Amino acid sequence: MSLATKSFQAIHQFNSEGWKSSKDLKSQLGHLESELSFLSTLTGINIRNYSKQTEDLTGTEMTEKSIRKVLQRHRLSGNCHMVTFQLEFQILEIQNKERLSSAVTDLNIIMEPTECSELSEFVSRAEERKDLFMFFRSLHFFVEWFEYRKRTFKHFKEKYPDAVHLSEGPSSPSIVIRSASQPGFELVIVWRIQIDEDGKVFPKLDLLTKVPQRGRVPGCSCFRCLLNMPSKAAYFLWVSQGKNQKLEISLMYFSIKF
Amino acid sequence: MEQANPLRPDGESKGGVLAHLERLETQMSKSRKQSEEPQSVQAQEGALGTKIHKLRHLRDELRAAVRHRQASVKASIANVEPNLAVEMSEQEVLEEKLENVKAVLQAYRFTGLSGKLTSRGVCVCINTAFEGNLLDSYFVDLVIQKPLRIHHHSVPVFIPLEEIAAKYLQTNIQHFLFSLCEYLNAYSGRKYQADRLQSDFAALLTGPLQRNPLCNLLSFTYKLDPGGQSFPFCARLLYKDLTATLPTDVTVTYQGVDALSTSWEEQRASHETLFCMKPLHQVFASFARKGEKLDMSLVS
Repeated sequence: MSLATKSFQAIHQFNSEGWKSSKDLKSQLGHLESELSFLSTLTGINIRNYSKQTEDLTGTEMTEKSIRKVLQRHRLSGNCHMVTFQLEFQILEIQNKERLSSAVTDLNIIMEPTECSELSEFVSRAEERKDLFMFFRSLHFFVEWFEYRKRTFKHFKEKYPDAVHLSEGPSSPSIVIRSASQPGFELVIVWRIQIDEDGKVFPKLDLLTKVPQRGRVPGCSCFRCLLNMPSKAAYFLWVSQGKNQKLEISLMYFSIKF
Repeated sequence: MEQANPLRPDGESKGGVLAHLERLETQMSKSRKQSEEPQSVQAQEGALGTKIHKLRHLRDELRAAVRHRQASVKASIANVEPNLAVEMSEQEVLEEKLENVKAVLQAYRFTGLSGKLTSRGVCVCINTAFEGNLLDSYFVDLVIQKPLRIHHHSVPVFIPLEEIAAKYLQTNIQHFLFSLCEYLNAYSGRKYQADRLQSDFAALLTGPLQRNPLCNLLSFTYKLDPGGQSFPFCARLLYKDLTATLPTDVTVTYQGVDALSTSWEEQRASHETLFCMKPLHQVFASFARKGEKLDMSLVS
Protein backbone atom coordinates (compact mmCIF):
# COMPACT_ATOMS: atom_id res chain seq x y z
CA MET A 1 0.00 0.00 0.00
CA SER A 2 2.77 2.40 0.91
CA LEU A 3 4.48 1.83 -2.43
CA ALA A 4 1.28 2.65 -4.25
CA THR A 5 0.68 5.75 -2.20
CA LYS A 6 4.24 6.93 -2.75
CA SER A 7 3.99 6.41 -6.49
CA PHE A 8 0.57 8.00 -6.50
CA GLN A 9 1.94 11.05 -4.74
CA ALA A 10 4.89 11.27 -7.07
CA ILE A 11 2.65 11.17 -10.13
CA HIS A 12 0.26 13.61 -8.58
CA GLN A 13 3.05 16.06 -7.90
CA PHE A 14 4.33 15.71 -11.42
CA ASN A 15 0.96 16.40 -12.98
CA SER A 16 -0.66 18.55 -10.35
CA GLU A 17 -0.56 21.61 -12.59
CA GLY A 18 -2.11 19.65 -15.43
CA TRP A 19 -4.91 18.23 -13.34
CA LYS A 20 -5.98 21.56 -12.00
CA SER A 21 -6.34 23.05 -15.51
CA SER A 22 -8.15 20.10 -17.07
CA LYS A 23 -11.36 22.06 -16.85
CA ASP A 24 -9.62 25.07 -18.33
CA LEU A 25 -8.44 22.88 -21.18
CA LYS A 26 -11.97 21.78 -21.90
CA SER A 27 -13.35 25.30 -21.95
CA GLN A 28 -10.45 26.52 -24.06
CA LEU A 29 -11.01 23.67 -26.48
CA GLY A 30 -14.70 24.47 -26.63
CA HIS A 31 -14.03 28.10 -27.42
CA LEU A 32 -11.54 27.30 -30.15
CA GLU A 33 -13.80 24.66 -31.65
CA SER A 34 -16.61 27.17 -32.00
CA GLU A 35 -14.16 29.56 -33.65
CA LEU A 36 -13.27 26.75 -36.05
CA SER A 37 -16.88 26.04 -36.79
CA PHE A 38 -17.50 29.72 -37.54
CA LEU A 39 -14.56 29.90 -39.95
CA SER A 40 -15.61 26.70 -41.61
CA THR A 41 -19.10 28.07 -42.23
CA LEU A 42 -17.78 31.43 -43.36
CA THR A 43 -15.26 30.17 -45.88
CA GLY A 44 -17.16 27.04 -46.83
CA ILE A 45 -13.90 25.19 -46.33
CA ASN A 46 -13.37 22.58 -43.64
CA ILE A 47 -9.68 22.20 -42.81
CA ARG A 48 -8.95 19.09 -40.80
CA ASN A 49 -5.20 18.80 -40.60
CA TYR A 50 -2.31 21.17 -40.85
CA SER A 51 1.39 20.86 -40.30
CA LYS A 52 4.34 23.09 -40.98
CA GLN A 53 8.10 22.80 -41.19
CA THR A 54 10.55 25.65 -41.25
CA GLU A 55 14.03 25.70 -42.73
CA ASP A 56 16.42 28.58 -42.27
CA LEU A 57 18.24 29.20 -45.53
CA THR A 58 20.19 32.22 -44.38
CA GLY A 59 23.79 31.89 -45.50
CA THR A 60 26.70 33.59 -43.74
CA GLU A 61 26.98 36.25 -46.46
CA MET A 62 23.34 37.08 -46.01
CA THR A 63 23.62 37.48 -42.25
CA GLU A 64 26.35 40.05 -42.78
CA LYS A 65 24.05 42.07 -45.01
CA SER A 66 21.25 41.50 -42.46
CA ILE A 67 19.19 39.48 -44.90
CA ARG A 68 17.27 36.52 -43.62
CA LYS A 69 15.83 33.75 -45.77
CA VAL A 70 13.38 31.19 -44.43
CA LEU A 71 11.61 28.40 -46.30
CA GLN A 72 8.33 27.15 -44.86
CA ARG A 73 6.79 23.87 -45.91
CA HIS A 74 3.08 23.57 -45.29
CA ARG A 75 0.73 20.67 -45.59
CA LEU A 76 -2.98 20.86 -45.08
CA SER A 77 -5.97 18.70 -45.84
CA GLY A 78 -9.69 18.94 -45.49
CA ASN A 79 -12.88 19.01 -47.46
CA CYS A 80 -15.46 21.26 -49.03
CA HIS A 81 -18.68 19.24 -48.90
CA MET A 82 -18.08 16.17 -51.04
CA VAL A 83 -14.73 17.33 -52.41
CA THR A 84 -11.64 16.46 -50.36
CA PHE A 85 -8.33 18.20 -50.92
CA GLN A 86 -4.76 17.88 -49.84
CA LEU A 87 -2.35 20.75 -50.34
CA GLU A 88 1.39 20.93 -50.04
CA PHE A 89 3.00 24.27 -50.60
CA GLN A 90 6.16 26.19 -49.85
CA ILE A 91 6.50 29.79 -48.82
CA LEU A 92 9.79 31.62 -49.11
CA GLU A 93 10.26 34.54 -46.75
CA ILE A 94 13.02 37.03 -47.38
CA GLN A 95 13.65 39.72 -44.81
CA ASN A 96 16.00 42.58 -45.63
CA LYS A 97 16.43 46.01 -44.11
CA GLU A 98 13.55 47.59 -46.02
CA ARG A 99 10.88 44.95 -46.01
CA LEU A 100 9.72 41.40 -45.58
CA SER A 101 8.60 39.58 -48.69
CA SER A 102 6.63 36.36 -48.65
CA ALA A 103 5.92 34.34 -51.74
CA VAL A 104 4.43 30.95 -52.52
CA THR A 105 7.15 29.10 -54.40
CA ASP A 106 5.48 25.77 -54.96
CA LEU A 107 1.91 24.53 -54.81
CA ASN A 108 0.63 20.98 -55.16
CA ILE A 109 -3.04 20.15 -54.97
CA ILE A 110 -4.63 16.73 -54.83
CA MET A 111 -8.40 16.63 -55.10
CA GLU A 112 -11.00 13.95 -54.87
CA PRO A 113 -13.25 12.96 -56.54
CA THR A 114 -11.09 13.10 -59.60
CA GLU A 115 -13.94 12.56 -62.05
CA CYS A 116 -15.02 16.15 -61.63
CA SER A 117 -13.48 17.18 -64.95
CA GLU A 118 -14.78 20.71 -64.60
CA LEU A 119 -12.44 21.08 -61.63
CA SER A 120 -9.22 19.51 -62.89
CA GLU A 121 -8.43 22.30 -65.35
CA PHE A 122 -9.03 24.87 -62.65
CA VAL A 123 -6.75 23.01 -60.25
CA SER A 124 -3.81 22.99 -62.67
CA ARG A 125 -4.31 26.70 -63.26
CA ALA A 126 -4.23 27.40 -59.54
CA GLU A 127 -1.07 25.31 -59.15
CA GLU A 128 0.60 27.16 -62.02
CA ARG A 129 -0.30 30.56 -60.63
CA LYS A 130 0.48 29.49 -57.07
CA ASP A 131 -2.76 31.18 -56.16
CA LEU A 132 -3.89 29.69 -52.86
CA PHE A 133 -6.65 32.18 -52.16
CA MET A 134 -8.22 31.87 -55.58
CA PHE A 135 -8.19 28.11 -55.22
CA PHE A 136 -10.15 28.14 -51.98
CA ARG A 137 -12.56 30.87 -53.00
CA SER A 138 -13.39 29.32 -56.35
CA LEU A 139 -13.65 25.86 -54.86
CA HIS A 140 -16.22 27.12 -52.38
CA PHE A 141 -18.38 28.73 -55.08
CA PHE A 142 -17.98 25.82 -57.44
CA VAL A 143 -19.20 23.37 -54.80
CA GLU A 144 -22.12 25.66 -53.96
CA TRP A 145 -23.24 25.68 -57.58
CA PHE A 146 -22.60 21.93 -57.83
CA GLU A 147 -24.82 21.20 -54.87
CA TYR A 148 -27.50 23.55 -56.14
CA ARG A 149 -27.52 21.88 -59.55
CA LYS A 150 -27.73 18.48 -57.90
CA ARG A 151 -30.68 19.55 -55.75
CA THR A 152 -32.51 21.13 -58.69
CA PHE A 153 -32.14 18.10 -60.93
CA LYS A 154 -33.08 15.79 -58.07
CA HIS A 155 -36.25 17.80 -57.49
CA PHE A 156 -37.33 17.38 -61.11
CA LYS A 157 -36.35 13.74 -61.20
CA GLU A 158 -38.49 13.04 -58.17
CA LYS A 159 -41.41 15.02 -59.46
CA TYR A 160 -41.44 13.66 -63.00
CA PRO A 161 -39.68 10.31 -62.73
CA ASP A 162 -40.85 9.01 -66.09
CA ALA A 163 -40.02 12.04 -68.12
CA VAL A 164 -36.75 13.09 -66.53
CA HIS A 165 -33.51 11.18 -66.88
CA LEU A 166 -30.13 11.96 -65.43
CA SER A 167 -27.61 10.67 -67.92
CA GLU A 168 -24.66 10.40 -65.55
CA GLY A 169 -26.25 9.79 -62.21
CA PRO A 170 -27.14 12.27 -59.47
CA SER A 171 -24.16 14.57 -60.12
CA SER A 172 -24.84 14.67 -63.82
CA PRO A 173 -24.23 17.97 -65.55
CA SER A 174 -27.14 17.42 -67.88
CA ILE A 175 -30.73 16.38 -67.69
CA VAL A 176 -32.71 14.64 -70.41
CA ILE A 177 -36.44 15.06 -70.68
CA ARG A 178 -38.31 12.49 -72.74
CA SER A 179 -41.87 11.63 -73.15
CA ALA A 180 -42.87 7.99 -72.85
CA SER A 181 -45.89 8.42 -75.10
CA GLN A 182 -44.10 10.44 -77.78
CA PRO A 183 -40.75 8.84 -78.43
CA GLY A 184 -38.35 10.81 -80.53
CA PHE A 185 -38.91 14.02 -78.64
CA GLU A 186 -36.07 14.92 -76.41
CA LEU A 187 -35.06 17.97 -74.48
CA VAL A 188 -31.58 18.13 -73.03
CA ILE A 189 -30.60 20.80 -70.58
CA VAL A 190 -26.86 21.02 -70.10
CA TRP A 191 -25.85 22.96 -67.04
CA ARG A 192 -22.11 23.43 -66.90
CA ILE A 193 -20.27 25.13 -64.08
CA GLN A 194 -17.31 27.03 -65.42
CA ILE A 195 -14.40 28.71 -63.71
CA ASP A 196 -12.80 31.49 -65.74
CA GLU A 197 -9.24 32.80 -65.84
CA ASP A 198 -9.76 35.00 -62.79
CA GLY A 199 -11.32 32.25 -60.75
CA LYS A 200 -14.89 33.50 -61.12
CA VAL A 201 -17.41 30.69 -61.06
CA PHE A 202 -20.50 30.92 -63.25
CA PRO A 203 -23.06 28.51 -64.67
CA LYS A 204 -23.47 28.02 -68.39
CA LEU A 205 -26.71 26.65 -69.71
CA ASP A 206 -27.38 25.03 -73.03
CA LEU A 207 -30.61 23.75 -74.40
CA LEU A 208 -30.72 21.00 -77.00
CA THR A 209 -33.87 19.70 -78.59
CA LYS A 210 -34.51 16.68 -80.65
CA VAL A 211 -37.71 16.70 -82.65
CA PRO A 212 -38.69 13.94 -85.09
CA GLN A 213 -38.89 15.18 -88.62
CA ARG A 214 -41.97 13.34 -89.71
CA GLY A 215 -44.75 15.80 -89.27
CA ARG A 216 -45.50 18.32 -86.64
CA VAL A 217 -46.94 17.46 -83.31
CA PRO A 218 -49.41 19.94 -81.88
CA GLY A 219 -48.25 21.72 -78.82
CA CYS A 220 -44.61 21.34 -79.64
CA SER A 221 -44.12 24.90 -80.78
CA CYS A 222 -46.09 26.04 -77.82
CA PHE A 223 -43.78 24.11 -75.60
CA ARG A 224 -40.79 25.78 -77.19
CA CYS A 225 -42.33 29.15 -76.58
CA LEU A 226 -42.86 28.36 -72.98
CA LEU A 227 -39.23 27.66 -72.48
CA ASN A 228 -38.35 30.89 -74.26
CA MET A 229 -35.44 29.14 -75.87
CA PRO A 230 -33.70 31.89 -77.78
CA SER A 231 -32.89 33.91 -74.69
CA LYS A 232 -30.62 31.56 -72.84
CA ALA A 233 -29.64 34.37 -70.53
CA ALA A 234 -33.14 34.73 -69.23
CA TYR A 235 -33.28 31.01 -68.78
CA PHE A 236 -30.12 31.02 -66.78
CA LEU A 237 -31.34 33.91 -64.70
CA TRP A 238 -34.45 32.30 -63.45
CA VAL A 239 -32.85 28.96 -62.87
CA SER A 240 -30.03 30.55 -60.92
CA GLN A 241 -32.32 32.61 -58.78
CA GLY A 242 -34.30 29.57 -57.85
CA LYS A 243 -37.25 30.61 -59.92
CA ASN A 244 -37.82 27.27 -61.50
CA GLN A 245 -41.48 27.91 -62.17
CA LYS A 246 -41.09 28.26 -65.89
CA LEU A 247 -39.21 25.03 -66.17
CA GLU A 248 -41.68 23.44 -63.82
CA ILE A 249 -44.63 24.56 -65.93
CA SER A 250 -42.97 23.41 -69.11
CA LEU A 251 -42.20 20.03 -67.73
CA MET A 252 -45.70 19.61 -66.46
CA TYR A 253 -47.03 20.61 -69.84
CA PHE A 254 -44.69 18.20 -71.51
CA SER A 255 -45.60 15.31 -69.30
CA ILE A 256 -49.31 16.02 -69.50
CA LYS A 257 -49.49 16.72 -73.19
CA PHE A 258 -47.31 13.87 -74.21
CA MET B 1 71.50 -17.52 -58.88
CA GLU B 2 71.06 -13.97 -57.84
CA GLN B 3 71.23 -12.35 -61.17
CA ALA B 4 70.47 -8.73 -61.40
CA ASN B 5 66.79 -8.66 -62.18
CA PRO B 6 65.61 -5.42 -63.82
CA LEU B 7 62.29 -5.68 -62.01
CA ARG B 8 63.80 -5.92 -58.58
CA PRO B 9 65.37 -2.92 -56.87
CA ASP B 10 69.11 -3.07 -56.57
CA GLY B 11 69.17 -3.15 -52.78
CA GLU B 12 67.40 -6.43 -52.63
CA SER B 13 69.75 -8.36 -54.79
CA LYS B 14 72.60 -7.23 -52.55
CA GLY B 15 73.39 -9.63 -49.80
CA GLY B 16 71.65 -12.31 -51.81
CA VAL B 17 71.16 -15.50 -49.84
CA LEU B 18 71.64 -13.96 -46.40
CA ALA B 19 69.09 -11.34 -47.08
CA HIS B 20 66.71 -14.01 -48.24
CA LEU B 21 67.31 -15.96 -45.09
CA GLU B 22 66.61 -12.91 -42.98
CA ARG B 23 63.40 -12.42 -44.78
CA LEU B 24 62.35 -15.97 -44.20
CA GLU B 25 63.13 -15.62 -40.51
CA THR B 26 61.06 -12.52 -40.07
CA GLN B 27 58.26 -14.18 -41.93
CA MET B 28 58.37 -17.09 -39.57
CA SER B 29 58.33 -14.97 -36.44
CA LYS B 30 55.45 -12.99 -37.85
CA SER B 31 53.38 -16.07 -38.53
CA ARG B 32 54.15 -17.35 -35.07
CA LYS B 33 52.88 -14.16 -33.60
CA GLN B 34 49.75 -14.37 -35.67
CA SER B 35 49.11 -17.88 -34.50
CA GLU B 36 49.67 -16.73 -30.96
CA GLU B 37 47.51 -13.62 -31.30
CA PRO B 38 44.33 -15.43 -32.21
CA GLN B 39 44.85 -17.46 -29.11
CA SER B 40 45.00 -14.42 -26.85
CA VAL B 41 42.33 -12.75 -28.91
CA GLN B 42 40.24 -15.80 -28.51
CA ALA B 43 40.79 -15.76 -24.79
CA GLN B 44 39.80 -12.13 -24.64
CA GLU B 45 36.74 -12.78 -26.74
CA GLY B 46 35.75 -15.58 -24.46
CA ALA B 47 36.05 -13.37 -21.41
CA LEU B 48 34.03 -10.61 -23.02
CA GLY B 49 31.45 -13.10 -24.11
CA THR B 50 30.79 -14.32 -20.65
CA LYS B 51 30.71 -10.74 -19.42
CA ILE B 52 28.07 -9.89 -22.04
CA HIS B 53 26.10 -12.91 -21.07
CA LYS B 54 26.18 -11.90 -17.43
CA LEU B 55 25.19 -8.32 -18.21
CA ARG B 56 22.32 -9.47 -20.40
CA HIS B 57 21.09 -11.68 -17.66
CA LEU B 58 21.28 -8.80 -15.23
CA ARG B 59 19.43 -6.54 -17.64
CA ASP B 60 16.65 -9.04 -18.08
CA GLU B 61 16.31 -9.40 -14.37
CA LEU B 62 16.09 -5.66 -13.89
CA ARG B 63 13.57 -5.30 -16.69
CA ALA B 64 11.40 -7.96 -15.14
CA ALA B 65 11.64 -6.19 -11.82
CA VAL B 66 10.65 -2.87 -13.36
CA ARG B 67 7.71 -4.43 -15.13
CA HIS B 68 6.59 -6.11 -11.98
CA ARG B 69 6.75 -2.84 -10.08
CA GLN B 70 4.92 -0.91 -12.78
CA ALA B 71 2.19 -3.48 -12.78
CA SER B 72 1.82 -3.41 -9.06
CA VAL B 73 1.79 0.39 -9.02
CA LYS B 74 -0.83 0.48 -11.74
CA ALA B 75 -2.88 -2.08 -9.91
CA SER B 76 -2.72 -0.18 -6.68
CA ILE B 77 -3.52 3.11 -8.36
CA ALA B 78 -6.41 1.47 -10.10
CA ASN B 79 -7.62 0.19 -6.79
CA VAL B 80 -7.19 3.43 -5.00
CA GLU B 81 -8.47 5.95 -7.56
CA PRO B 82 -9.66 4.47 -10.84
CA ASN B 83 -10.98 7.81 -12.08
CA LEU B 84 -7.69 9.62 -11.80
CA ALA B 85 -5.90 7.08 -13.93
CA VAL B 86 -8.47 7.56 -16.69
CA GLU B 87 -8.37 11.32 -16.30
CA MET B 88 -4.67 11.37 -17.00
CA SER B 89 -5.03 9.91 -20.45
CA GLU B 90 -8.10 12.07 -21.02
CA GLN B 91 -5.91 15.07 -20.34
CA GLU B 92 -3.40 13.92 -22.91
CA VAL B 93 -6.21 13.51 -25.40
CA LEU B 94 -7.47 17.01 -24.64
CA GLU B 95 -4.03 18.51 -25.03
CA GLU B 96 -3.54 16.81 -28.34
CA LYS B 97 -6.92 17.98 -29.58
CA LEU B 98 -6.13 21.49 -28.47
CA GLU B 99 -2.84 21.51 -30.34
CA ASN B 100 -4.57 20.24 -33.48
CA VAL B 101 -7.35 22.82 -33.30
CA LYS B 102 -4.87 25.63 -32.75
CA ALA B 103 -2.87 24.50 -35.77
CA VAL B 104 -5.93 24.26 -38.01
CA LEU B 105 -7.05 27.75 -36.95
CA GLN B 106 -3.65 29.03 -38.01
CA ALA B 107 -4.10 27.34 -41.37
CA TYR B 108 -7.25 29.29 -42.21
CA ARG B 109 -5.25 32.35 -43.17
CA PHE B 110 -4.25 30.42 -46.31
CA THR B 111 -7.85 30.52 -47.48
CA GLY B 112 -7.61 34.30 -47.52
CA LEU B 113 -10.12 34.69 -44.72
CA SER B 114 -9.57 33.95 -41.06
CA GLY B 115 -10.72 35.35 -37.76
CA LYS B 116 -11.19 35.22 -34.04
CA LEU B 117 -14.27 35.26 -31.90
CA THR B 118 -14.43 38.29 -29.66
CA SER B 119 -16.62 39.21 -26.73
CA ARG B 120 -18.66 41.43 -29.02
CA GLY B 121 -18.76 39.21 -32.06
CA VAL B 122 -16.00 38.39 -34.45
CA CYS B 123 -12.85 39.97 -35.82
CA VAL B 124 -12.26 38.85 -39.39
CA CYS B 125 -8.84 39.04 -41.01
CA ILE B 126 -8.62 39.41 -44.78
CA ASN B 127 -5.32 38.39 -46.34
CA THR B 128 -4.36 39.60 -49.79
CA ALA B 129 -2.04 38.19 -52.41
CA PHE B 130 -1.05 38.78 -56.02
CA GLU B 131 0.42 36.06 -58.23
CA GLY B 132 1.62 34.04 -55.27
CA ASN B 133 3.07 37.03 -53.43
CA LEU B 134 1.52 37.36 -49.99
CA LEU B 135 0.69 40.98 -49.33
CA ASP B 136 -0.98 43.11 -46.66
CA SER B 137 -3.74 41.94 -44.34
CA TYR B 138 -6.73 43.94 -43.18
CA PHE B 139 -9.17 43.35 -40.39
CA VAL B 140 -12.83 44.05 -39.81
CA ASP B 141 -14.19 43.88 -36.29
CA LEU B 142 -17.88 43.02 -36.35
CA VAL B 143 -20.35 43.38 -33.53
CA ILE B 144 -22.98 40.67 -33.56
CA GLN B 145 -26.09 42.67 -32.79
CA LYS B 146 -29.25 43.59 -34.60
CA PRO B 147 -28.31 45.39 -36.77
CA LEU B 148 -24.86 43.99 -37.43
CA ARG B 149 -22.27 46.73 -37.36
CA ILE B 150 -18.59 47.31 -37.90
CA HIS B 151 -16.90 48.24 -34.68
CA HIS B 152 -13.62 49.16 -36.26
CA HIS B 153 -11.45 48.15 -39.19
CA SER B 154 -8.17 48.71 -40.98
CA VAL B 155 -9.59 49.02 -44.48
CA PRO B 156 -8.14 52.04 -46.34
CA VAL B 157 -10.50 54.95 -46.69
CA PHE B 158 -10.62 54.86 -50.49
CA ILE B 159 -12.07 51.33 -50.54
CA PRO B 160 -15.88 51.62 -50.73
CA LEU B 161 -16.47 49.77 -47.46
CA GLU B 162 -19.71 51.56 -46.55
CA GLU B 163 -21.16 50.83 -49.99
CA ILE B 164 -20.38 47.14 -49.73
CA ALA B 165 -21.65 47.00 -46.17
CA ALA B 166 -24.88 48.74 -47.16
CA LYS B 167 -25.47 46.16 -49.86
CA TYR B 168 -24.64 42.94 -48.07
CA LEU B 169 -23.73 43.21 -44.41
CA GLN B 170 -27.21 42.81 -42.98
CA THR B 171 -28.37 40.03 -45.29
CA ASN B 172 -25.30 37.93 -45.94
CA ILE B 173 -22.05 38.28 -43.98
CA GLN B 174 -20.29 35.87 -46.28
CA HIS B 175 -21.17 37.87 -49.38
CA PHE B 176 -20.08 41.06 -47.64
CA LEU B 177 -16.69 39.60 -46.72
CA PHE B 178 -16.09 37.97 -50.10
CA SER B 179 -16.93 41.18 -51.89
CA LEU B 180 -14.60 43.13 -49.59
CA CYS B 181 -11.94 40.48 -50.26
CA GLU B 182 -12.26 41.11 -53.98
CA TYR B 183 -11.75 44.85 -53.62
CA LEU B 184 -8.86 44.52 -51.19
CA ASN B 185 -7.07 41.84 -53.22
CA ALA B 186 -7.41 43.89 -56.38
CA TYR B 187 -6.13 47.02 -54.63
CA SER B 188 -3.19 45.07 -53.18
CA GLY B 189 -2.40 43.69 -56.62
CA ARG B 190 -2.45 47.08 -58.31
CA LYS B 191 -0.34 48.59 -55.56
CA TYR B 192 2.15 45.73 -55.88
CA GLN B 193 2.49 46.29 -59.62
CA ALA B 194 3.05 50.02 -59.18
CA ASP B 195 5.59 49.46 -56.40
CA ARG B 196 7.50 46.95 -58.49
CA LEU B 197 7.55 49.33 -61.46
CA GLN B 198 9.02 52.08 -59.28
CA SER B 199 11.60 49.89 -57.56
CA ASP B 200 12.70 47.50 -60.30
CA PHE B 201 12.38 49.49 -63.53
CA ALA B 202 13.29 53.02 -62.50
CA ALA B 203 15.97 52.98 -65.23
CA LEU B 204 13.33 52.85 -67.95
CA LEU B 205 11.19 55.63 -66.47
CA THR B 206 12.03 59.14 -67.56
CA GLY B 207 9.98 60.79 -64.84
CA PRO B 208 8.26 59.95 -61.56
CA LEU B 209 5.38 57.48 -61.51
CA GLN B 210 2.18 59.37 -60.77
CA ARG B 211 -0.41 57.39 -58.91
CA ASN B 212 -3.48 57.92 -56.76
CA PRO B 213 -3.92 56.20 -53.38
CA LEU B 214 -6.35 53.67 -54.83
CA CYS B 215 -3.73 52.83 -57.47
CA ASN B 216 -6.36 52.78 -60.18
CA LEU B 217 -4.96 55.74 -62.12
CA LEU B 218 -1.33 55.58 -63.13
CA SER B 219 0.60 57.95 -65.34
CA PHE B 220 4.25 57.66 -66.34
CA THR B 221 6.72 58.33 -69.12
CA TYR B 222 9.18 55.71 -70.26
CA LYS B 223 11.80 54.96 -72.86
CA LEU B 224 12.76 51.57 -74.20
CA ASP B 225 16.33 52.72 -74.78
CA PRO B 226 17.21 55.02 -71.91
CA GLY B 227 20.38 56.38 -73.48
CA GLY B 228 18.87 56.70 -76.92
CA GLN B 229 17.77 59.60 -79.03
CA SER B 230 14.07 58.83 -79.24
CA PHE B 231 11.40 60.69 -77.38
CA PRO B 232 9.72 58.89 -74.53
CA PHE B 233 6.27 57.35 -74.56
CA CYS B 234 3.69 58.62 -72.15
CA ALA B 235 1.31 56.05 -70.70
CA ARG B 236 -1.92 56.53 -68.82
CA LEU B 237 -3.57 53.51 -67.21
CA LEU B 238 -7.07 53.64 -65.81
CA TYR B 239 -8.54 50.76 -63.84
CA LYS B 240 -12.27 51.42 -63.87
CA ASP B 241 -13.09 48.03 -62.44
CA LEU B 242 -11.95 48.20 -58.83
CA THR B 243 -12.09 44.42 -58.51
CA ALA B 244 -9.58 43.95 -61.32
CA THR B 245 -5.80 44.08 -61.42
CA LEU B 246 -5.59 44.88 -65.13
CA PRO B 247 -6.48 48.30 -66.57
CA THR B 248 -9.68 48.93 -68.51
CA ASP B 249 -8.41 51.99 -70.41
CA VAL B 250 -4.87 52.46 -71.66
CA THR B 251 -3.52 55.32 -73.73
CA VAL B 252 0.09 55.50 -74.87
CA THR B 253 1.11 58.74 -76.51
CA TYR B 254 4.25 60.10 -78.05
CA GLN B 255 5.78 63.24 -76.66
CA GLY B 256 7.82 64.30 -79.62
CA VAL B 257 7.09 67.07 -82.07
CA ASP B 258 7.38 65.09 -85.27
CA ALA B 259 5.00 62.39 -86.38
CA LEU B 260 5.90 58.84 -85.49
CA SER B 261 7.46 56.60 -88.10
CA THR B 262 5.46 53.46 -88.87
CA SER B 263 7.67 51.21 -86.80
CA TRP B 264 7.37 53.47 -83.77
CA GLU B 265 3.63 53.75 -84.35
CA GLU B 266 3.40 49.95 -84.36
CA GLN B 267 5.35 49.83 -81.17
CA ARG B 268 3.15 52.42 -79.53
CA ALA B 269 0.04 50.48 -80.46
CA SER B 270 1.50 47.18 -79.29
CA HIS B 271 2.39 48.73 -75.95
CA GLU B 272 -1.19 49.82 -75.48
CA THR B 273 -2.29 46.24 -75.96
CA LEU B 274 0.43 44.86 -73.73
CA PHE B 275 -0.53 47.08 -70.80
CA CYS B 276 -4.10 45.84 -71.06
CA MET B 277 -3.17 42.20 -71.09
CA LYS B 278 -0.30 41.73 -68.67
CA PRO B 279 0.58 43.04 -65.22
CA LEU B 280 2.54 46.28 -65.36
CA HIS B 281 5.84 45.04 -63.97
CA GLN B 282 5.79 42.04 -66.30
CA VAL B 283 5.38 44.29 -69.31
CA PHE B 284 8.41 46.28 -68.21
CA ALA B 285 10.34 43.08 -67.56
CA SER B 286 9.76 42.13 -71.20
CA PHE B 287 10.91 45.63 -72.24
CA ALA B 288 14.08 45.15 -70.22
CA ARG B 289 14.70 41.76 -71.82
CA LYS B 290 14.27 43.20 -75.30
CA GLY B 291 16.67 45.94 -74.35
CA GLU B 292 19.23 43.33 -73.35
CA LYS B 293 18.82 41.62 -76.68
CA LEU B 294 19.44 44.94 -78.43
CA ASP B 295 22.61 45.48 -76.41
CA MET B 296 23.87 42.04 -77.32
CA SER B 297 23.38 42.75 -81.00
CA LEU B 298 25.38 45.97 -80.64
CA VAL B 299 28.24 44.11 -78.99
CA SER B 300 28.42 41.43 -81.67
